[in-house]
Amino acid sequence: MSVPSWINAKLVAGSTVILFVVMLGLLGPWIWDTTQARVASCPLNLPPYGFSPPNLTFQPAQLAHPLGTESSGRDMLAVLITGTPNSLLVGTIAAGIGIVIGTLLGLTAGFMGGWVGTLIRVMSDAIITIPSLVVLIVISSYVREISLTSMGLLLALFAWPGTTRTVYAQTLSLRERGYVQMARLSGASTLSIMVFELLPNLMPYLAACFTASVSGNILAATGLEALGLGPSRIPTLGMAISNAVRGAAILRGMWWWWGLPIAMLILIFSGLFLITIGLDEVANPRLRRSEGNAR
Amino acid sequence: MKPVGIAIKRFVFIGLLLSVAGCSLHAPKSDYDRRETVVFDLETRVLAPNMWNPYVPGARLEHGFHQCMIEPLFILNTETGIIEPWLGLSMTSNETLDVWTLALRPEVKWNDGVPFTADDVVFTINLLLKNAPSLLFSGPMKQWVARAEKVDALTVLFHLTKPNPRFKLDYWSVKIANSVTILPEHIWKDKDPLTFKNYEPGKGWPVFTGPYKLDRFSETSFSYRRDDGWWGAKAGWKPLPAPKMLEWVWQGTEEMRTAAMVDGSVDSLCDITLGAYQALEHFRGDVMAWTDGPPYVWLDPCPRALEFNCGHPPWDDKEMRWAMNYCINRDVIVAVAYEGTSMPSKHFFPAYPPLERFTRILEQNGAYDRFPVWEYNPDKAREILESKGYTRNRYGYFEKDGKELSVTVTTHEAAIELQRVAQVVVEQLQTAGINASHRSEAGGTWMDNGSLGNFDARVGWMACGSVSEPWSSMDTFNASWMMPDGKRAQYNIWRWKNEAYSALVSDMGRMPLGDPRIDDLYWRAMEIWLDELPGIPLTQARKLLPFAQDHWKNWPSKENPYSHPCTWWQSTCKMIHEIKPVAPDPGKAP
Amino acid sequence: MSTMRGSSLAYLIRRLAMFALTIWLGLTLMFLIPRMAPGDPIAAMVARISSQAGRVENSEQMIQAWRTRFGLDAPLYQQYGRYLWNSLHFDLGYSMAYFPMKVEDLVRAGMPWTLALLSIATVLSFLVGSTLGALMGWPASPRALRLVLPAALCFTSIPPFMLGILLIYVFAFGLRWFPFAGAYAHEFPPGRNLDFVFSAVHHGILPATAIVVTTMGFWALGMRAMMVTTSGEDYMILAQAKGLRPRRLFWMYGVRNAILPQVTSLALSIGGIAGGSVLVEYIFTYPGMGYLLYQGIVNNDYALIQGMTSILIIGVATAVLIVDLAYPLLDPRIRRGDL
Repeated sequence: MSVPSWINAKLVAGSTVILFVVMLGLLGPWIWDTTQARVASCPLNLPPYGFSPPNLTFQPAQLAHPLGTESSGRDMLAVLITGTPNSLLVGTIAAGIGIVIGTLLGLTAGFMGGWVGTLIRVMSDAIITIPSLVVLIVISSYVREISLTSMGLLLALFAWPGTTRTVYAQTLSLRERGYVQMARLSGASTLSIMVFELLPNLMPYLAACFTASVSGNILAATGLEALGLGPSRIPTLGMAISNAVRGAAILRGMWWWWGLPIAMLILIFSGLFLITIGLDEVANPRLRRSEGNAR
Repeated sequence: MKPVGIAIKRFVFIGLLLSVAGCSLHAPKSDYDRRETVVFDLETRVLAPNMWNPYVPGARLEHGFHQCMIEPLFILNTETGIIEPWLGLSMTSNETLDVWTLALRPEVKWNDGVPFTADDVVFTINLLLKNAPSLLFSGPMKQWVARAEKVDALTVLFHLTKPNPRFKLDYWSVKIANSVTILPEHIWKDKDPLTFKNYEPGKGWPVFTGPYKLDRFSETSFSYRRDDGWWGAKAGWKPLPAPKMLEWVWQGTEEMRTAAMVDGSVDSLCDITLGAYQALEHFRGDVMAWTDGPPYVWLDPCPRALEFNCGHPPWDDKEMRWAMNYCINRDVIVAVAYEGTSMPSKHFFPAYPPLERFTRILEQNGAYDRFPVWEYNPDKAREILESKGYTRNRYGYFEKDGKELSVTVTTHEAAIELQRVAQVVVEQLQTAGINASHRSEAGGTWMDNGSLGNFDARVGWMACGSVSEPWSSMDTFNASWMMPDGKRAQYNIWRWKNEAYSALVSDMGRMPLGDPRIDDLYWRAMEIWLDELPGIPLTQARKLLPFAQDHWKNWPSKENPYSHPCTWWQSTCKMIHEIKPVAPDPGKAP
Repeated sequence: MSTMRGSSLAYLIRRLAMFALTIWLGLTLMFLIPRMAPGDPIAAMVARISSQAGRVENSEQMIQAWRTRFGLDAPLYQQYGRYLWNSLHFDLGYSMAYFPMKVEDLVRAGMPWTLALLSIATVLSFLVGSTLGALMGWPASPRALRLVLPAALCFTSIPPFMLGILLIYVFAFGLRWFPFAGAYAHEFPPGRNLDFVFSAVHHGILPATAIVVTTMGFWALGMRAMMVTTSGEDYMILAQAKGLRPRRLFWMYGVRNAILPQVTSLALSIGGIAGGSVLVEYIFTYPGMGYLLYQGIVNNDYALIQGMTSILIIGVATAVLIVDLAYPLLDPRIRRGDL
């Protein structure tokens, strides 16, 4: 055990991946001409450099567009450089707001109970029961042009109740545990019990929720975009995929059009997943101990 | 280790289940011969498949219903402008255009053997008049027809409320998509037309005159079986159509529809993109489209345009609209949004041969020298905007009095083609310093925002209506349709008010088709329209419609234009008689 | 003992009141939200008619006639009252966009397909995903397995409709193991025969696979986290020390406790069944409810939206109620008395 416990291979690897995506968003415009992610800025249907065209109707690849272009003249490299961080942003906004609000409300409902708890639970249950598609489409018809933030906020509307529910259930279970009872007997305030006793125990679960929620919300955004209701000038991975689906990309043999955005989605997911399990191992000494026992 | 063992076992089991299910269940042999069946493409799912009443709001017609069961009175060929008699023999008007005489083909029978007569026509018209405006077509019938009168078993007189030179063309000739359906009186006479489903397999319903009878259906697929006792064959008018079965099947996305044709499970497709067509040609050499080489496409009668609400400033100023026009490069739109498979449009008429004469009138009068609709000239746009007091702000956008020049272009969420056009237009406006954005709206919302005037700009099918004569489209700009914002307008949703134009068009509308005086009125009205440019014509509406030739041949094409190729129109009634099997006698083929 | 029973009864009453309140709130939201959309259902219907049947000259009259027929000219509170009353009686009325079809008939046509496909897919996804997650979060799982399993989760980041297309390409287009699309072979219309059942199962495998493979990761993530927490609990260490067999330890102590929040999530996910499958249904041309709901939304068909959502709302609320009531049985650590 010479390495400090917080240096965990998984955590480092995952953070590197996510940092890479974030840096793409910050530095993208300096390393590549990202205006090429716009419609009609490049020749159409070029394969990636070094690959031969799928059939004779295609132009040969050009070095100027190393990852090829799609059928509306967007450069795939520019789409990935701007779209990947954008998708991560939408997912993070929705998941972040969803988890924070969901956790607060869930803890409050579970620990305080009473009419506040009932109110919170009725609200979250009602939101869960209604199909989100209806609300999303109605609200999106009021927004002049959907931006990444408004898309994230829209999705957050439906991201909190699930968390509220599960956190509530966990809180019910945890608050009867010995250490919480002990803290209560020793006169700790409700707030401090919530923050110092309950929250840490919920952490692994919340971290997993967050990872799943970021991915889930990126996919939900992709779904909206596939229905034609997303932002149309701001590239995201979902937009690239839904354009590919609409443009018969698979049949045309344009694997770079659908395959590369999916590879980036997998990259984001893997990064988040590695961070989650890395965090678990760092933050949960019990886990490390029992792992040690198993070995 | 045991839990893992269980999990692995479970996985293996599920895997086995999946693969066994996949391998052992070969697709069962069908009870009909694919070689005797024509399979058409259905663009959307039919949510009410047991509804065979063609007049209720939920009615669907293009799933084979009006292609092989409901026959029209006449069929217009948009390529030649010729109207072919079908159930009707002739339809002529008096001098004053307000009494029309319809003569029916004598030998026509409903598919239950009852003769098709003037009584059925009169019954249908009365039904529509009585239930106006709730049934399809009942509105226009109420507007135009005072009464229908039976002269004898085969002759009907239509007494109109006012003169209408286009009565036959607009309602009885499949001008666009469909025509008024005649109903069998003996089935419908005591039914409530608003709730009658017209479906009862035990009684042989639905009863119509077409050469096919409904066989079976689901929400996604419809089959029709040839009726060998069809009246036309019995009377010697036309032989029975060659296909024993017709099917309309919903295949999902473009990708899946095209893959289905590669697979050979469908003979004809609705509109696909060029890329999909190229892939299709790559996988199988025997597909054909309207033209042999590029651009492959047939033109739909509704050209695409960037439409403005001419009541909303600054778009109420014609110079602002012209400035927009100078920002738009149609060649790029065609090259990118259509991948080269359409053509730019400089007016709102479809480029059909019968209308070419009217385009020539514009050219002969030098219209496009004075009104260079096709000119892409951002400098001129800048000059106009600067003359209006706009200056560039620090973001590069034009602004005036601290207000940025911005516009939101809306599109229908299901119209992918128009979304692609809008995306290119928005980029071009952005380049020119106008903060344009694009938004897709849910279909119902988009339509309603249009008729309420609740939009600044949209990419739509402006002024759809003309096919063989110019008035129908021109009248959609008539100020008589004008409604203030917030009140529903049926036409002229662009809120463009020009009295001179409206007077000229109204005059035109009262003249018989082909009247020589029309040309002059047409030119004077179009001169005003081009000067004002209430909407910016962008492109023709292209449809790339592939046909497979492994089972069936003699599909319509530019060289063989016996019909237009859109298989969802009622004109397909003619196409099904013309297509022939590739193998001369599939029954005896080895 | 009697106080226990008394408090349980009070809890039950309180919970039932919450149930009613949830349904009321859900129904009310679904009454208001579609009416906030800028479109008008009748106008959309008339626009559709005029696009099918040429010029509708007097559309304003037509719209008025239909508004009266659907009771849309009544004051909002009357419409609301009638809607609540009808929803509770499952009297869903006529669809506006598909008149004279009844909402009930439209839903009845799509519901069995959606329920069959999605309930099977959801349960499978839950079982597979939770098992994966449990194995990943279990300290005693072999290292190799703990490395391989996360790879399976990568599918979670692929949109289900995209995976659907890829599956069709590989298994229907390429290998020809499965049919392209639809819910059953055209030759075997729905009926009580094996041919139809096989054909329906055959058609359902690809869409179900697309859903299972892309959603199981979410179950796995949640389950893994719960297992991590559970395996660190004192009673686990105690049980381990007692020398219980690992298999018993895994299932009876680990999974049994970790699965509880997952069960709640499962009940909640019922709500997503209709809305969440629109695109998968579309790709596979599956005749389910998702497309119906989507068409209801884009046509502003209030009756259709309300009819379908009221079924969903009542269904989900009931599922959640059942889970909540069953919770004390599953997790003895929870006391209900003081809720």
